[in-house]
Amino acid sequence: MGGAGGRPTAEMSIVDRVSWSALLLFGVFVIYESLQIKYYGSDFGPGPGFFSFWLGILVVGLSAVEIGRTVGKRVPLPAGFFPDRAGVVRIACLLGALIAVVFLLEPLGYSLAMALFCLFLLRTLGKQPWWLTVVLTLAGSFGTAYIFRLLQVILPGGILGI
Amino acid sequence: METFQHLMNGFAVALSPLNLLFATIGCILGTLIGVLPGLGPAAGTALLIPITFKLDPTAAIIMLAAIYYGAMYGGTITSVLVNVPGEAASVVTCLDGYAMAKQGRAGAALGIAAIGSFIGGTVATLGLVVMALPLSRFALKFGPPEYFSLILVGLSLVMALAGKSLTKALVMGVVGLIFSFVGIDPIEGAPRFDFGITSLLDGIRFVPVVMGFFGIGEILVNAEQSLGNVMVGEGKVSSFLPRRDEYRICLSAINRGTWLGFFLGLIPGTNSAVASFMSYAIEKKVSKHPEKFGTGVIEGVAAPETANNSYANAALIPLFTLGIPGSPTVAILMGALIMNGLIPGPLLFSEHATFVWAVIASLYIGNVILLILNLPLVNWWVKILKIPYNILVVFILIFCIIGAYSLNNSVFDVGMMIFCGLLGYVFKKLDFPLAPAILTLILGPQMERSLRESLSMSQGDYSTFFTRPISLVLLIITAIIFITSAWQALPSAVREESKEAQV
Repeated sequence: MGGAGGRPTAEMSIVDRVSWSALLLFGVFVIYESLQIKYYGSDFGPGPGFFSFWLGILVVGLSAVEIGRTVGKRVPLPAGFFPDRAGVVRIACLLGALIAVVFLLEPLGYSLAMALFCLFLLRTLGKQPWWLTVVLTLAGSFGTAYIFRLLQVILPGGILGI
Repeated sequence: METFQHLMNGFAVALSPLNLLFATIGCILGTLIGVLPGLGPAAGTALLIPITFKLDPTAAIIMLAAIYYGAMYGGTITSVLVNVPGEAASVVTCLDGYAMAKQGRAGAALGIAAIGSFIGGTVATLGLVVMALPLSRFALKFGPPEYFSLILVGLSLVMALAGKSLTKALVMGVVGLIFSFVGIDPIEGAPRFDFGITSLLDGIRFVPVVMGFFGIGEILVNAEQSLGNVMVGEGKVSSFLPRRDEYRICLSAINRGTWLGFFLGLIPGTNSAVASFMSYAIEKKVSKHPEKFGTGVIEGVAAPETANNSYANAALIPLFTLGIPGSPTVAILMGALIMNGLIPGPLLFSEHATFVWAVIASLYIGNVILLILNLPLVNWWVKILKIPYNILVVFILIFCIIGAYSLNNSVFDVGMMIFCGLLGYVFKKLDFPLAPAILTLILGPQMERSLRESLSMSQGDYSTFFTRPISLVLLIITAIIFITSAWQALPSAVREESKEAQV
């Protein structure tokens, strides 16, 4: 049982319970936040917090029902539910590279940030030959910057102004 | 007769070599934008507004309109071949289009989408010419209660599309609505769910969410397997025509999709996603084999694609006659009109008749250009997608980053897209449907505004929704859809319970 990651005791009902509990907490949070805003408007009818308050109640209600449905059930995990180690590494590489772009885009500028982004991903995901990696990196960074700037799309210039 | 004369004058202008060239360039650029995942018509049209600055207003709008409906069709190509919708209206095409591609029938899916789009677009444009005035008068009768009830019809259809779990679809719809409330309250101007982050005051834009959910989320799911093994499309795309036994089904689906898209296009506040979702739901309801939807049935592609393009053309009616944009992309077109010194509204027909009729005539021409371009060129477009996936992923991500950033020149939108990508990945793994969240995210602000304006108008009296005939009819339709869907879901839930009890 379990996914490719080989977690022998994992069950779908536990995963379901955890996910519905997270949604329940989200609903509680929405209710709390809605109560900080006006429930009724200055004139007739609902205020800014009205709709979200009741939607929060709906999320909590539905989540509670679904958590109740998972109690006492033992449903096995579908095969491959959890990615294997290599899959986790690939996902981490993608997310890491994307998050790095958020922090590097403005300080380094579009072209340099995307060059690092392309270089990293093409080497880690693709194992391309070096010459192709370099060509694709240049196309993906300076090439796309050139085309989009030609289309008058504003892209961050960064320290070097490129 | 006067209308016919105007239209002929419009054709004379639209068929001038230069305008024809701009319509063709617009169709090609639009299709390219649609093909590149993450760049939908809204982002694509906005992105390309600057290149029309130096054109004369008629050529500029002809080109932008061509980009707009070109992107609609281009989005279909990626929906069918890579399961990545270019924009919200193409989400539903993924369900059966991608399933058809996996069966090696991508050509038939793309062919019927092109034919349906052509028929839908042409009929809608014809309808625009013939029925613009009387129908826009009808649409004028829609006040906030009618809008609210209409949106409820759309949301009840989300449940009709729920698939396996009604609860999961409902929760995802609610999550989308809650996301749509982030930012400045539309009535009182109070900030909500902004957590002190200035960028959140503008609200969560749907483009980064769509790119995140469907672009990055899909890439993360694919990354679980070796990326080199993920196929983009299945073999060569050939045989664009449906099987002989599918013609009748396709024609009926295209017919229904055309009229639904056209009618919804007239109602400001709706969007092409509603048209495609509704037409898909209607096809599922009228089908003799609704359980096969999602496994690659051709009417599941024909109807939404037709409705989507019919909507795209008809949506220009409220823009031209009332000055009200029906969708985000039409709103961008409106911005382009204003930038060119043309104020959309009733006076546009009298003050700039040549311009309006030239644009209307160009819609016919654009539909012909798209049909001529797209069927023979599909294999060429597909070549872009035949690049090894581990390389394509990098370039898809680059376009997503540019698309998200260029919306508002903000890194925050890039961050939002990544966050939504992670959410999309988790939701996909847990089998939560993403489409309801996108639909409610788009409809949320209008829904809330309509509800609150209705209650302000009626001085807090909720009966306003039941005493207005159009609103009442729409609410009855909502109730019928809701009860039918819940009734259909109930026995399957009970069956599931009993099966699980046996495990």
